[in-house]
Amino acid sequence: MGETSARATHVQHGSHIDTIESVDAVFREQRKLSFAYGAVFFVVTLAIPAMSVWWKSWYAVPIWGGFTANYLFVSLLYYLFLWGLSWTYIKKADALDERLSHMADEIAAATLAAAEGGES
Amino acid sequence: MGNLNIIAIVMVIGLTVFTVGLAIFVRRFTRTTADFYLAGRKVGTIANASAISGDYLSAASFLGVAAAVYASGLDGVWYAAGFAGGFIVVVLFIASALRRFGEYTVADFAFGRFGSSRIRLFTVVMVLLTSLFYMAPQMYGAGTTWTVLVGAGMFGLSPYQTGVVIVGLIIMFYVMVGGMKGTTLNQIFQFWWLWTAMFLVVVFAFTAGKFNYAKGLEEVTAENHRDVKTVTVAELTADDAALLASVETAMSEKGFAEVQAVVDAGDPDATVGVLIPAKNKLHTLRDMFFNEPGHRYNAFDQFSMVLALVLGTAGLPHILNRYYTNPSGSAARRSTFWVLVFIGTFYILAPIAGLAGKLIIDDAWRAGLAPANAAYVDGLLLKSDAIMPTLAQILGGEWLMGAVAAGAFAAMFSTTGGLLIASASAIGHDVYEKYINPDAPEARKVLVGKISVLFFAVVALGIGLGIPAVGLDKAYPALIAMMVTWAFAVGAGAFVPMLLTGIWWKKTTERGALAGMLVGGLGSFFFIIMNILKQLGHLPSEGVLAFVGSLTFPTLFTFPAALLTIIIVSKIDGQLPKNVDEIWMRIHGTASERHEKELGLDKVSTMFGNSKH
Repeated sequence: MGETSARATHVQHGSHIDTIESVDAVFREQRKLSFAYGAVFFVVTLAIPAMSVWWKSWYAVPIWGGFTANYLFVSLLYYLFLWGLSWTYIKKADALDERLSHMADEIAAATLAAAEGGES
Repeated sequence: MGNLNIIAIVMVIGLTVFTVGLAIFVRRFTRTTADFYLAGRKVGTIANASAISGDYLSAASFLGVAAAVYASGLDGVWYAAGFAGGFIVVVLFIASALRRFGEYTVADFAFGRFGSSRIRLFTVVMVLLTSLFYMAPQMYGAGTTWTVLVGAGMFGLSPYQTGVVIVGLIIMFYVMVGGMKGTTLNQIFQFWWLWTAMFLVVVFAFTAGKFNYAKGLEEVTAENHRDVKTVTVAELTADDAALLASVETAMSEKGFAEVQAVVDAGDPDATVGVLIPAKNKLHTLRDMFFNEPGHRYNAFDQFSMVLALVLGTAGLPHILNRYYTNPSGSAARRSTFWVLVFIGTFYILAPIAGLAGKLIIDDAWRAGLAPANAAYVDGLLLKSDAIMPTLAQILGGEWLMGAVAAGAFAAMFSTTGGLLIASASAIGHDVYEKYINPDAPEARKVLVGKISVLFFAVVALGIGLGIPAVGLDKAYPALIAMMVTWAFAVGAGAFVPMLLTGIWWKKTTERGALAGMLVGGLGSFFFIIMNILKQLGHLPSEGVLAFVGSLTFPTLFTFPAALLTIIIVSKIDGQLPKNVDEIWMRIHGTASERHEKELGLDKVSTMFGNSKH
């Protein structure tokens, strides 16, 4: 394994550096992605009990054999939703990681250069 | 003495021998604490996903979900959906940050993020509490399955007690011997065994049982849902025999005649199994049907249960520990996707088994073909948690029963193994290595881990034996799934708010996190105890205590309360760790991963290498 060092202002692993500025930039992008998907997940998931409480056509009217829309969604369709959501999230998160890794290197290099310029 | 299922017993013994043998085989590769607790951090995506799934799919999933559906219809199906949905929270908010942070345990995260010993030690306490809540239903499942499988006790113990003791001892042995590497390999094998067993039961239901999902659901919905209960003659005849009249409307003529015979015998303390028309707790003016919500949960609990299940997964210490075994944050995310695929397909199958059991067991009972080791009331199982082995025996004889019984034991082994590792690491790593003897040699540290495993296995065993003694098995219709959800509720209250704010809100302070954990963790514990007391009849039926005791799942209160507490106390406190930027870079920084990727170190090698750390 390559050299690893840590100071208050930056962390270095081999030739790759994290500064607080680069990490904050990466964090904001990751937060935007995770919380956007999180909002979709919780809205859909909590909509199910909400409809179970307040929408009779959802919980009491059979639509296929004994299946109500409620039963069908909770026992089968919800999983399609979970798989689709997690698959698209992972793809986006990996793409974001790739994009942010270049951005992090650039921000870190610029920050360190500015700091060294200031010191000299 | 019940009927011995020889083929099934041989299959269970075969699985057990394989499990123990694998642990012994792996022993030679377990040298360091990283090996013992984290399998050397060399577990690949699919292997880790299988192991997480094995860790996660406990007796609650294998026996409990089908049982909950059998007993409660749609409210039971939610267990499956919620158990699966929880991993979305893990993948979106927890997985990669936790892996990037490194370390061994949740307590390490709390210490590393907030920098105080007291938060680490409190986290240890909550880890142990959550783990014990989770181990209890595994032990109960062991006793229940043994009763159906063997129907006989040993060494003067009842069949239930024998099952608890034997399973407890086997798990204790193989975890002590194999550590996380042995446990990981066993969990992979055990997951695929129990997935296949569930798949086979459903295939047999569709083929041999001639089950049709949509029509079957229509059939069970054609009449009102009924509850199975064991009551005393005194209870039946109280208030002008109101309960007895209600029982008469729910039971067949023949079934009611048997109940009437017990009543006529005149012993007020005599007990008898009866069927009672189920009440709709959600839409109180509607009759209760299998395909509608409301059998178990009122409006509050509908929301609270969903929150407990989807948030609780992210608060299970044995699952969180698994994320440290991934080679990178990206691998942690990919593992979680595959977990969702693996357990999702399993959770689609389990409610089908629950519904199919409702029809097939009833048919078999009416034809006089139902297995004798299970108890029935008018064609319904007295204990719904026995549905899987009973259904399997009806559909596929001893071979399928053997596959299911071995699957049930596999589920208990894998989950309890993970919980024992989590509990052992909480004591051995978080307390012993950090505070008692930091300079201990590796061999001593591993020894302490093993002694911790021994201790917690004995505690779990004691709890398993105590469950029927306090009457919990009669207080809840599907006890295994219920008890696991309590662990989810404690985890969701204690850990998830701390983890979410610790990862995503830089201004979280140590006092804020600690206060939030106290409110969420101990608050959940309090509400659960009150609910148990209410179910056991130790609380008044009206008033504040009755209301508090009626909350089956407290998460709708405790999670927001814990989150708010963390935010308010942190804002008032304002004392961030001096090295908060360094900590932040550790959680969200990617230099380490970029570096490892450049060198190809993010690829998995093998769990059987000699790891040097």
